[in-house]
Amino acid sequence: MNITNTQFEFAGKTKTVLFAGMALGLVCLVLTFFGDDAYHTRFWSNFLHNSVYFTGISFMALAFMCAQITAFGGWMTAIKRIWESMAMFIVVGIVLMTVMVISVWGHLNHLYHWNTPGIAEVGSATYDRIIAGKVGFLNPVWYTVGTVGFLALWYFWAVKIRNNSIEQDTNETPSLDYYKVQRRWAASFLPIIGFLVCVFIWQSVMSIDSHWYSTMFAWYSMISMLLGALSMTVILIIYLKSIGYLEYVSRDHLHDVGKFLFGISVFWTYLWFDQFMLIWYANNGEETVYFKERMNFYPVLFWGNLLLNFVTPFFILMRNDTKRKFGTMFFVACIVFFGHWWDFFYMIKPGARSAAHHATEMQAGHSTSHSAAPAHDTHAAPAATEHATDAAGHTADTHAAHSEGATHAATDTTHSATHDATTAAATTAEKAAPHAEEAHGADAHGEHGAVDPSKAFKIGYSFPGLEELGIMIGFLSLFLFFFFKNLEKASLIPWRDPYLEESLHHETGALIESEQDDKAGHDHH
Amino acid sequence: MASETTKVLYGLYNDEEDLKKAVKAANSDHLDIMDVYTPFPVHGLDPILGLKESRLHQLGFTYGAIGASFAFGLMSWVFTRDWPIVFGGKPYWSVPAFIPITFELTVLFAAWGMTLTFYTICGLWPGVKAKSLDNRITDNKFCLAYDVTEADDSTVEKYRSFFSKTGADEVNVKTI
Repeated sequence: MNITNTQFEFAGKTKTVLFAGMALGLVCLVLTFFGDDAYHTRFWSNFLHNSVYFTGISFMALAFMCAQITAFGGWMTAIKRIWESMAMFIVVGIVLMTVMVISVWGHLNHLYHWNTPGIAEVGSATYDRIIAGKVGFLNPVWYTVGTVGFLALWYFWAVKIRNNSIEQDTNETPSLDYYKVQRRWAASFLPIIGFLVCVFIWQSVMSIDSHWYSTMFAWYSMISMLLGALSMTVILIIYLKSIGYLEYVSRDHLHDVGKFLFGISVFWTYLWFDQFMLIWYANNGEETVYFKERMNFYPVLFWGNLLLNFVTPFFILMRNDTKRKFGTMFFVACIVFFGHWWDFFYMIKPGARSAAHHATEMQAGHSTSHSAAPAHDTHAAPAATEHATDAAGHTADTHAAHSEGATHAATDTTHSATHDATTAAATTAEKAAPHAEEAHGADAHGEHGAVDPSKAFKIGYSFPGLEELGIMIGFLSLFLFFFFKNLEKASLIPWRDPYLEESLHHETGALIESEQDDKAGHDHH
Repeated sequence: MASETTKVLYGLYNDEEDLKKAVKAANSDHLDIMDVYTPFPVHGLDPILGLKESRLHQLGFTYGAIGASFAFGLMSWVFTRDWPIVFGGKPYWSVPAFIPITFELTVLFAAWGMTLTFYTICGLWPGVKAKSLDNRITDNKFCLAYDVTEADDSTVEKYRSFFSKTGADEVNVKTI
């Protein structure tokens, strides 16, 4: 056992690289700010996407560490300082989400359909009955509490746990005093993060698709963040080992993180599939639309998500020995890290694009047709769409009747907004045509012409463009910068942790033939 | 598993570290250990005994793969060829609906397959008489055993001196 190099030093060269990364991210953010729609949707959705993902990694790293402490998990003591330092990034998350909160209060973007002025006022041009029923929760005040407020609360726990752990190092005589306090903070953090993370995710991510909701969504995104944190842990362990730190962190530690990476990837798939299958089976229009839109218009995102986050980790990490190989683990961790970034891209982009498109149309003066059928535009139930499609060849009169029946959610407003029945028929017919394309365009039945331009393939929405990758690198650099800054502040080994000895002698008991020669050599020391 | 009886000379140790030291000593003395019995899995014992990596997991994967293809194949055949029924307006070949059952049968086949394989390897079948050297090796004793069925007196003496040298708590002979 070689316990040297326990004090991390943040090398100037690494700093330069990270500053370059941050600069690249900033340039790419600025690039996406221009040349997009009037709401700068690409810029804002990128900002939200990366803020949520990287902040999520930081608080889920803390949650995972707390779960280990609570469960008497001694094996991880040698890598505990990595998670503590990752958790300190929450403070940056507070700043990032504050920017989002300001943008919501100031209407600087249109990611959130519920944030449209007048959305809950009956008779307003923007009135939306479904969202009107949700404004008690989907409003700027709750948005502020659910994002910045909760992050501040979690940061409080992060600081408490971190300070306690560092103070423990100064403990002269071995005692359990600090440890007992730490256990209390760790255990109390679990329900706090477990319940509140749902609100954070509902507010920041799920409310983009304001009409839609899923009870599985919060768990599924939370696990996505946890996998981001675990894959980041693997990447950081291997990186720190490669530059001469953490010599005492062995294959056995890596094996255990690998098991979590494997097992929780399967759990992620389970949640993903649960959400998908329940909605697919029940086939309620208002729920199905979320997947229908993504499967039809964003197939690369949809299937890529499963390929990156299920197929790759499942088949590569299934074997015992792959979880113990530094190269393989590094490769898989990079894929999974990118995969969950992709997962959040998939969750955020299509909805944000629809919300902004809807707002742009409103601005352009199509408000009459929209207020006539608010439930009918971006979040049309497939039933309504199919009815409209059937009616496409009929006379305008029949058509109006059909559409009114189908968009029953909106019939009352149809009457109030349009006094003349003929106008109503004409308006609905106008609306029906693009929807007919939506329903059949992806099935190559597009007899009405090309797909709706608001859903057509577009770099930055249907697929991450170079700017998106640059922004990811920027945020990653920011994350790593804060991580290394905090890692530097304390010893890499929690010297007085009661579980340190257990961790340093951690063995999984795995018998891998190819490793036996190394091991035999090791025993002679 | 062998049908004929075996005469075994075995030593009982109180601690797994003592047992590991004894196995290492036996290796350096070139003594041929018959087997080692412990109440729980002792980490690091397999390599010094020179055991190969277990191939059980390959069988586990095979059983699971058989279960998965059986379930998926059967459902596909039943619902598209043999007896197609429309459920909830879904297509006959409704892959998402098959996945939970495919998963369950994968687990079931793997679990049953591994259980039966394990019984076969250990020679455990209904009516088999347990060949236990000592009841305490399932509780608190760590046992190292030598086969002395055909050993001459000098070899047995060598084994006995080995046990006293390595600190065995107790040395017994038993025919199983």
